[in-house]
Formats: sequence, structure tokens, C-alpha cells
Amino acid sequence: MLDVADLVTAYGKIEALKGVSLHVGKGQITCLLGPNGAGKTTLMMTIAGILKPRRGSIRLEGTELVGLSPARIVANGVALVPENRLVFPQMDVRENLLAGAYQRRDKREIAADVERMYARFPHLAERRDQLAGTLSGGEQQMLAVARALMSRPRLLLMDEPSLGLAPLVVAEIFRIIAELNRDGTSVFLVEQNAHMALQVAHHFYLVEQGRVTFDGSPGALAEDEVIQRAYLGTRRTGA
Amino acid sequence: MIDFAQNTLDGVMAGSSYALLALGFTLIFGVMRRLNLSFGPSIMVGAYLGTFLYVQYGAPSLVVALVAVAGAALAGIYVERLCFAPMAAGAGVASMVSSFAIWMQLEQAAILILPRHTYAFPPLSTAAPLALGPLLVRPDHLIVLACTAVLTAAISVLIYRTRYGLGLRAIINDTVAAHLVGVDVKKSLIVAFALASAIGGVAGYLVLAVDQQVTPMFGMWATIKGLIAMMIGGLGSIPGAVVGGLVLGIVEMHSQWHFGPQIRDLVAYGLLFACLVLRPGGLFGAPPAGETMIEK
Repeated sequence: MLDVADLVTAYGKIEALKGVSLHVGKGQITCLLGPNGAGKTTLMMTIAGILKPRRGSIRLEGTELVGLSPARIVANGVALVPENRLVFPQMDVRENLLAGAYQRRDKREIAADVERMYARFPHLAERRDQLAGTLSGGEQQMLAVARALMSRPRLLLMDEPSLGLAPLVVAEIFRIIAELNRDGTSVFLVEQNAHMALQVAHHFYLVEQGRVTFDGSPGALAEDEVIQRAYLGTRRTGA
Repeated sequence: MIDFAQNTLDGVMAGSSYALLALGFTLIFGVMRRLNLSFGPSIMVGAYLGTFLYVQYGAPSLVVALVAVAGAALAGIYVERLCFAPMAAGAGVASMVSSFAIWMQLEQAAILILPRHTYAFPPLSTAAPLALGPLLVRPDHLIVLACTAVLTAAISVLIYRTRYGLGLRAIINDTVAAHLVGVDVKKSLIVAFALASAIGGVAGYLVLAVDQQVTPMFGMWATIKGLIAMMIGGLGSIPGAVVGGLVLGIVEMHSQWHFGPQIRDLVAYGLLFACLVLRPGGLFGAPPAGETMIEK
């Protein structure tokens, strides 16, 4: 689905990504783990076209995304649910969803998709005329996901969707991620909550200081001693 | 009593052109969160091009109007490319200062086109004033009022009912998220700037056609009137721009009647001062909370 090769993104002289290569499988959920400052968000923003890489390539089913504008990347079928959600606070829920379909012109289908989002996220349906800035954190996260889905992405990027949310809401988010994946959307997920990620993801990468340091299946991840200590805590040994 | 009503009516008429200026100003401020001091001078460039065609070749009013609006829009794009696009988001002071530099440049350019101080401008209408009961109203003022009403309605529809407006509001809410949903931010901003300057161009044309003359001071005049009206009404608010413009016009006319033209401007600045002290965000805007000029 997505092939990232030797990607370098820098802020001035500081390279946040120092040659990252990874693969997101079609129809799969791929999870990227890593400590704060490892370059996870930088990678997501680079794939989405917000940040320009210094070198390297990002291919979506063969199409080179590097050099395309964020709008073109959305039109190519990639949508990012950004870290901290970034809903449009002064616009109501419905307008947020419509903005998510900005690249589409099929008015009738857009209206039908808005209704589908209300069906999938009943909380949003109840709050459709409310300003997004007045929603709770969990509702804003749902809205951010729904807004991204409005572009009908083939690949959904999610940057720490569980950040700052209550456990029940986190479980709900992961249930939705699994559901979307079952419906055929490929997902590339950045997550600090490795326990939750282990339940849904098909493949894992670990990135540290701008480099990929682990690449493997959920089984291999759970076996890896270093990762166990850093990301899974003592729960496995304690249980 | 009749004087009071007549002054108020004249104030509404004068205020409607201020409202149009404030509308253009507020559109730029609302989208960019930055102040474009070159707004008035951009309008003047269009007006001077129109005047040039009128003085040199006797161009008809319609041509003068179209050239004035198109010239203002092009000058607006020029300012956006030079002062706003290259500056990182949030660099409010840098773009404001550079827009001041472009102000000086455009003013000098206008003087190069037409070096004398005052030039004739084709009138909007030379028909006699209409009587509304005991009150008199100039037909050209009515045209200005109608244009303001139509343009304000059109801009509201554009911003709240169209795909372009949705994208523009997305940019205002969160620029990064606007990129992420696929809004072409760069293009939208250029269009917004051109549109705002074109509205200014309409305002400029109407004001000059009522006054029937143009001077190099017009750029400064347009920036200051538009700025005051916008600040009174509320930064980035469409209804605020209209109300701010009308309030400014009405206050000016009454103070001119009672105290004369010098005091009129003093009262206008006093009104701005009072507004900034009592309601820093303007009548319709939220208090700016310092984020207008200095972000992060």
C-alpha cells in the first residue's frame, strides 16, 4: 500500500527522520511505536505533505507522494487524523464533516456519507449543530476520525488517537479502527499505548531518534525484551 | 429634529462606503490574522489607473469602474505575494511593516502615473437630490448604499454557503487541519486577498465618483477609514464591518455639523480610542487577547 524509503526530514539542521524505510501492507493495520521526540509525528506530517522531506520517497501503490501538495495527497486517497485532533473549533460538527470532503465534488454522495458518519458515530449525530470546540476530547477525536473518513481514504493515517482520552473512549476508538480496517481501509497508526495496539495491529515498527529499530509481527514485538520493558511495562511478567 | 435626521441619513450614506472598506479589510484580517496597511494604497492604484484612462482618453464611467476594481485586485495580489506569502504564519509584525513599505511604494507609483495633486474623477450620477419628505438624499449616495448592501450579502453567501467559503473558514479555524482535509491554502489566500482588494476597489471607485476628484492622499484615507470602521465593528467580523462603518459615518456627520470638519476627524479617533478601551475586540468581535499581532 505505502512504501516509505530512506526518508529524511529536517527542521533546519536537525534531522528528525534520519533515513526511515517502512512498508504499510494493504488491508492491514500497521502500528508505529516510539518514545516522544522519536520522529513519529514528523513522519506522519511528511507523508501527509505538510512537511517536505530532504530526501527519500513515499509511494502509495506506486504513485510518488513526495512533492505533491497536501491537497493532492488527500485526493490520492490518504487522510491523516492529526495529533491533538485539530478539529475546526468555530465550525459545527456538520461543517467539519463537509470540510473533510473538500476534495470531493459529488454533493449527493457527500450528504449520504455525512449520514453514514452519524450512523457510525451516534454521539456526533446528537451534536451535529454544535461547534466542534465545545465537544469533549473523546467526541473531538471521533469527529477528527469521521472528518478524515469523509475524503474516502484508501489509507488512513492516525497520529496518537488515544492521547489524553479516558480508557473507555480509547477502547471505543480502537474498536472503530478495527471496524474500519474490516471494511477495507488500510491503517497506519502511531501509538504510545502498545497494549491497545497489540490487540488490533498486524505489523509493528519501532522508531527511535529518527531511525527504525524494530520491524516485526505482534508476536515478535511481545517477545522482544527491550520493547517489553519500555512499552509493555511489567504487566506481562507480573501476570 | 430635521437636522438630526438629515445628519443621520448623510451619516448612513457616508458610512456605507466606510463599511465597504471595512469589509475588504476585515476579510483579509479574518483570514490572515494580519494587518494589511497597503489595503488603501492598493485601492488607490486601481483608482489612479481608472483616472488616467478618464483624463487621457475620456474613458466612460463603466471602464473606469472596471479598471479601478481590477487594478485594486491586482495590486492586492502583488501585496499578498510580496508581504504576506513569504512570511511564516504568525509573523504579524513583519508583514505589517512590509505592507507599510509597499504602501509608500504604491503611493509613489500613483504619483508617477499622475504627478499633479488633484485630478477629476467621472461622477456616478449628476441627478438632482431626491426629496424624502423633508429630507434630501443624493442619488449617487443611494447607489453607494445599494452596492454596499449587495456586496455584503454576496460576501456572506460566499463565506457561509459555498465550498470556497467552507475552505476559507477552515483556514481561519486551523491552517494545518485545512491542509489536511485538502484545502488548497495558498490558492484560497490569494483569492481572498484579490477579492478583498476588489471590494476595496469598488468602495474606492464609489467614494471617488461621489467626490469627483482623486488625490494621492486617497490611499491613506482609505486605509485609515477602513481600519477605524473595522476596529469599531470587530476584527474579522462581517456584520461588525458594516455596523462599524455606519457608526463611524453617523458619528462623523453629526460632529461635522456641530463642530466643523477638523473636529470631525478628532471625534472619529476619539470614538476609536473609546472603543479600544471599552471593547478591545470591537462591537462584534471577541477580545483579541494579544493573539492578533504576536502569536506564540
